[in-house]
Order: sequence, then C-alpha cells, then structure tokens
Amino acid sequence: MKGLAPLFLGIFGTFVFSWVGLTLIPNWQIGHLNPQSDEEGTDIYPQPQSGMVERGARVYAANGCIYCHSQQVRADYAADDIERKWGDRRSAPRDYIFDQPVFLGKMRMGQDLANIGARAPAEQQSPPPAGAATPTASPAQQGAAPAPSPVPPGASPSPVQQGGAPAPSGSSPAAGSSSPATSPGSPPPKAPAAPTPKVPLASPSPSAIANAGPAAPPSPTAAAMWPMETIGEPMYSAAWHHVHLYSPRSINIDSNMPSYRFLYEKRRISDARSADALQLTGSDAPPEGWEVVPTFDAKCLVAYLMSLNQSHPLKEVRSAGGAPAASATASPAAASPSPAPAK
Amino acid sequence: MNATEIPLKEPSVSAAAGDAEQLERAYIDASTRVPVLMFYTSAMAWLILGTLLAGFVSFKLHSPDLFSDISFLTWGRVRPAHMNVMVYGWASMAGMGTAIWLMARLCRTVLRYPLLLVAGAGFWNLGVLLGVGGILLGDSTGYQWLEFPHYAAIILFVAYTLVVSWAVLMFRYRRGEQIYITQWYLLGAFLWFPWLYAAGQLMLFVVPVQGVLQSAVGWWYANNLLFLWFGAIGLGTAYYMIPKVIGRPVYSYHLATIGFWTYALFSSWTGMQRLVDGPFPAWMITASIAATILTMIPVATVGLNHHMTMQGYFPLMRYSPTLRFTVFGAMSYTIFSVIGVLISLRSVARYVNFTQASIAYSHLGLYAFFTMVIFGSMYYIVPRLVGREWRYASLIKLHFWASAYGIGLMTLMLLAGGFLQGANMENPSLAFSESTETVLPYLRGRSLSGILLAASHFIFAYHFGLMLLGLGRTSTVPTFLNPVEAETSGGH
Repeated sequence: MKGLAPLFLGIFGTFVFSWVGLTLIPNWQIGHLNPQSDEEGTDIYPQPQSGMVERGARVYAANGCIYCHSQQVRADYAADDIERKWGDRRSAPRDYIFDQPVFLGKMRMGQDLANIGARAPAEQQSPPPAGAATPTASPAQQGAAPAPSPVPPGASPSPVQQGGAPAPSGSSPAAGSSSPATSPGSPPPKAPAAPTPKVPLASPSPSAIANAGPAAPPSPTAAAMWPMETIGEPMYSAAWHHVHLYSPRSINIDSNMPSYRFLYEKRRISDARSADALQLTGSDAPPEGWEVVPTFDAKCLVAYLMSLNQSHPLKEVRSAGGAPAASATASPAAASPSPAPAK
Repeated sequence: MNATEIPLKEPSVSAAAGDAEQLERAYIDASTRVPVLMFYTSAMAWLILGTLLAGFVSFKLHSPDLFSDISFLTWGRVRPAHMNVMVYGWASMAGMGTAIWLMARLCRTVLRYPLLLVAGAGFWNLGVLLGVGGILLGDSTGYQWLEFPHYAAIILFVAYTLVVSWAVLMFRYRRGEQIYITQWYLLGAFLWFPWLYAAGQLMLFVVPVQGVLQSAVGWWYANNLLFLWFGAIGLGTAYYMIPKVIGRPVYSYHLATIGFWTYALFSSWTGMQRLVDGPFPAWMITASIAATILTMIPVATVGLNHHMTMQGYFPLMRYSPTLRFTVFGAMSYTIFSVIGVLISLRSVARYVNFTQASIAYSHLGLYAFFTMVIFGSMYYIVPRLVGREWRYASLIKLHFWASAYGIGLMTLMLLAGGFLQGANMENPSLAFSESTETVLPYLRGRSLSGILLAASHFIFAYHFGLMLLGLGRTSTVPTFLNPVEAETSGGH
C-alpha cells in the first residue's frame, strides 16, 4: 500500500466503528435508566446504597471475590440459574444502575451471589425495596408493585405456604426437611416454583439447620445449597457469613474458597465476650480467654453481601414464580405477622 | 525436499543483497540496541515474577488454606497481580521491544530519539510496579484486565504516550514508498492501544457509564486489548519472521491486505460474547457472536498466506528456533480463533460461560499465540543486538518443548475441566459444589503444566542472561536447533 493517509483513516475508522457500536449505542439505549417505582412514587427499586455497604463493595473488589463469584442470574431459557434458586427472575440492567463497580463476574468457582442477601433468614434481610416501602402506602397496584411489603416477594412464598404465620422456630424444621424431599421429584419446577420453600430463608432457628443438615449433605437433593457440616448459625445470616469467611471448610468440607482470616482479629477477652465474636468450633476455635471478632472491613463486606438482593420484581422481567401479582397480594399477608424487620 | 537446498544461512546475507545493504542493517540494529534490550530485560523480569505468582495462584486454587493470614497473599489479590504482570509487564513490554526493532528495520532508518523509548520503558516499569503493588495492597479497581489503580494507570499512559510519539516520529523518517504488511499491524497496534486504554479509563473511572455498561466497556476493552494490541503485534511479527527466516517473500500481498482489514473490522467487534445471557440487550451479544464467527475470514486468509509461504520450507523448523516458535504461534492463532468461535456459540456458552474454559481461551491467545511468537522474535533479534549467538541449542530445544507441552497441557486441562464443570453446573439435580469438585483434578493437572511452563521460563531467562552478559557464542552462523551437516549426511 502506498501513502499513510488511507492506512491511518482505516485504522481510526475501524476503531471508532467498534467503539460507537459496542459502547456508545448501548449507552444511549440502556445507559440512563431510572429506578422503578409505583404510581405514587413509592416502592422505589433499586436504591443507592451507602455507608458500610458501599465500603463493603470496595472490600469485595480489593480481595478479588469477583474471580470466583458472579452476580447475575441468567434467564430460565438460557440456563438453570433460577432452578438452582439463585434468584426468582433473570437479572436486568436496571438491577445494577447504582453499582460501581459492577460485579457481574465471569467465573463460578463459587455460587452466584446476586441474591445472597435475599437468602438470609427473614428477620435479617435488609432488602433494598424495604427502605421506601411505607407499609401504609398504596394497596398493591397492577400486580407489579408489591408496595406494602417489607419482605421481598422472593421471600413470601414460604411463609404463605406455612399458613401465613411463620413462627420462626416452630414451622421451619418442617420446611427444612420437606425441601430435599420435594425438589428431586420436580426436576423442572419452573411453573410451580413459587411454593418450593427456600430452606435457609424459612429456617432461622439454629436447630432447624442442624436438623436439616444430615439430610442435606452428600445427597444431590438440595440443589440450591451446599452440603452442610453445619455450625450453629442460620444459613446466610450475618453471623454465618462471618464464620464462613473465617473458616469456609468448617461449613463445607469440600469448599475451596480461601479463608479470609486477615479480616478478623484474634484478641484476648477483656471483661465479657463481645457480642459479635464468632461462634467457632473445633480447630478454628480460639484458646480459652480469647475471641475472634470481625474487623470493620469484614463487617462492611458482610453488610454488602446482605444487601445483594434482586428479588424485587421488575416490570420488564418475567418472574419465574408466575405472575408478580400473586406474590404482591400474598406478601402483605405474610409480612404482617412476621417480627417487624428493621426499618 | 533435501535439506541442502534450504537456505539455512542468515537470510540477510542472501546473495542478492549487497554489502552496503547488510552494513546498513547492522547499523540500524546497533541503534536499537539500548531501548530494545531495555524493554526485553524488563519483560523477562516481569515474566519470572508473573510465573512465580502464577504458580502460587494455581496451587492455592486446590489448596486454599495456604497463607490465609496474610492479606496480600490472598488468592483474590495474587490472581489479578499475576494477570496484570503478564499482560502489562511481560507481554506488553516484550511486544513493544519487538515492535520497536521491527519499526526501525522496516522504516529502514536508524532509531532516532532513543531517549523517548528509554524514558517510556522506565515509566512503564514504574507503572506496572505501582499497579501490582496497589493490587496486592488492596487497591484493585475491581474491573477485570483494568485492575490497576488510577495512579498506576496514569503513569502507564504517560509511558505509552512516549512510545507512541516515537513510533509516529519514526514513520516520518522512513525511507522507501512501500509500507510492508508488518508495519500496518504495528502502526495499528501502536495507535489502537492508546485509544483503547483512554476509552476504557474514561468510561469506567472518569465519567463512568451506568451499571452493567461498565462490564460491557470492560470486556470490550479486554477483548480489543487481546486482538488489536497483542494480536496485531503477534500477527505483524509473524508476517516478518516467517518470510525473513526462510528467505522468501510473502505468498500473496493481496491476501495479506484482505486479512488485515477484515481482522481490524471484525475482531474489534468481539467481546460481548463473553457476557452471553447476561443482563444486556440481546443484540449486543449477538453482534459479537456474529463478529467472532466472521473472524474466521482473517484467520483463514492469514493462515493460508503463512501456509503457502511456508510451503516446501517446513523442514526448516528442524533448525531455526525463530521459525519453530513463530510457526507454533501462528498455528495457535488459528486454534485460538476456532475455539473462540466454538465457545461463543450460545448453545456451548451456556455450559462454559462461567467455567475454567474461558481461562483456557485467554491463555491460548496470550501464550500459545502471542508469547510463542514473541519468543521466536527474541531468538532472532537478541543475537543481532548483543553481537553474539545463542550459546546452547539444547536449552532452546528444552525451552520450546517445555513451553509447547506446558501450554498444550494447560489448555487441554482447562478446556476439558471447564466443559465438565459447566455440564455439572447446568444440571440442577447435582449440588453446586459438585461442579467445583469436578474441576479440581483438572486444576491439579494445570498446576503440573505450570511447572513445565515455569521450567521453560527459567531456562529462557538463564539463556537470555548469558546473552546479556556477552557470554553467547562468537560465530557468524546462527545457532541451529539441530546440526545441519549431521542431518544431511544422515540422508533422507
């Protein structure tokens, strides 16, 4: 080829073509989304996070959690993420509008975390939608907006199934033990997925987990969760996350997650054992007179994990659990008797 | 063909070339000596560091309790440190070293403004050092391939500006009307990289785009870095080295033109296929899958061109280290692209999207293709810079076989393990942990391949060190892998 100009223009042109096509046009299309709300302007989802959650996201980035954990639920026709109970619906661009950085992830050496906060025991959930949902606000509008529900609809089916009165410790062992039994029988539980109880969600009592444990571990039945050599904490609760981060193999012997001991401090007990000291057993337990407490970073990281919750319905996405309307009407009933969630 | 007919002599001493031309080349080579060796030496140091980090990462993945008390040795920090050392420390610096030397040769002028390059190399090293330190201390940005904190990114950009302004200046001083195909690729790489890097940094950190688009920008950057930066340098180098070593022009200039422009057009549109089924408009992903399939056009033209150039000269790979490494790399480029197409198809991506198979893909591109081509070019260039020939043919052979078997084993392990991992992950009747347990034996196999690769790098670094210290052979004949006389007397 002769002359530099055509070469230069070609090099420049191909680059601009790709830049416009793959970044500018998508930015024009989905780069300026607003949170969704109902007609009264309440029940806003998603909402910006702040404070400990924001700092927790930085801890998540700094320690490379993204190299093993994704945060996206693929649609039911594309993959089995929903069947694995990683979410009720596929993730949508709107779920991430306040995230920076976004941790979509490219590897699953560990579970998907898009809804890890939604899987926490009910009283510990801090779902983003709850923040703005004034319980006395509008009656559910058009099905899409379960406005008055402080509990995200993803959480609602199980209390409903248990008769609307989820006395936390009483009914949950039943749910816990029934789940492994029912799920293998329904390999494609797509349509009636809603009634399938989420075990960790419905079983806030330590003993419930301990009971469910032996049934769950090696069997392939409980597809959504790991085999548990369990500890005393309810699964996916804040305390559970701390123990899991400190010593992953005390919870699942086969886990190959690194342990994050450097986020915890081992110290001598001064007068009384602190409230947030970790309940450790076996070889992980500190010697007599010592305790292991989370550093501020560890607390922020767990706060961030607990905030991950995409269970709020979105108008543009079909939820797997049938029409959103069903959960919208059901959830107020389920929510009212539950121990009032913080805020 | 009979080995005696093969022009095994150093190609620049071909009968047609006059003494004046030969002298001119030697003069140009001498002028590139300091900057190119500086880039190469730094790259070698990063390669060794990156290898050590890789070993740590690989072992820790199946032995996770190692050093769990130490924050900067946690897996999630060492992994990006390894990746960035290899991408920005080793591959970019070695690639720039080769590109600089090629630029000077192909512009047929002595290297001017060497200080620009020396300063560029210095700043680049500083940038990588700060960036890797930042990652280990917990300053990672959290965007894959762009983990360097902003203070390191700025220094890298300054360093790069120095190098690219040198490249543009060199182009102004070039002699001769014809712009050889290698120069197209090199000019493309030199110009694409700063735009890419600036666009990535701007859209993620300065005026961040909203939500999931950050991931789109991130993978757009990462993929284009792979194709438009490393791929372009690698292909350009192969277009120079293969014809040069066998002493024969490129088979078809027309094919080369088609290959270049289709490569620029289609490969720059890939990237979104890595986000398949994610929360994006479907057209973005489909467009990238289509572009990935269309990259078969440049792959076919480039592959055909190299093959026809090599036709009848393949036996030379027995002797020339440069040719052996370069042809291995060029063939890997084809394999890399074909696998890229396969794993981007939606029906396959469903299984391999979140598995180790994507690691295999990156290693095929960055190592089996790019790094092997660069190794080949270093075997050609370094003797011309230090005035000595490589000391031990046996070490070169060891280097080649350890690298080739190492990367082959790693790719096989990660691909097979990734497919099984994905198949188990997509089987909801199995617990999730089954999928990670399935892949563990393959990860152990990968660690084994890592030992091979580490051995090959240490061997090469030792050999390179000997050359730097002036301990190479003093000879007018380049070091052949196998003695030429013995082969011919053995008869065919």
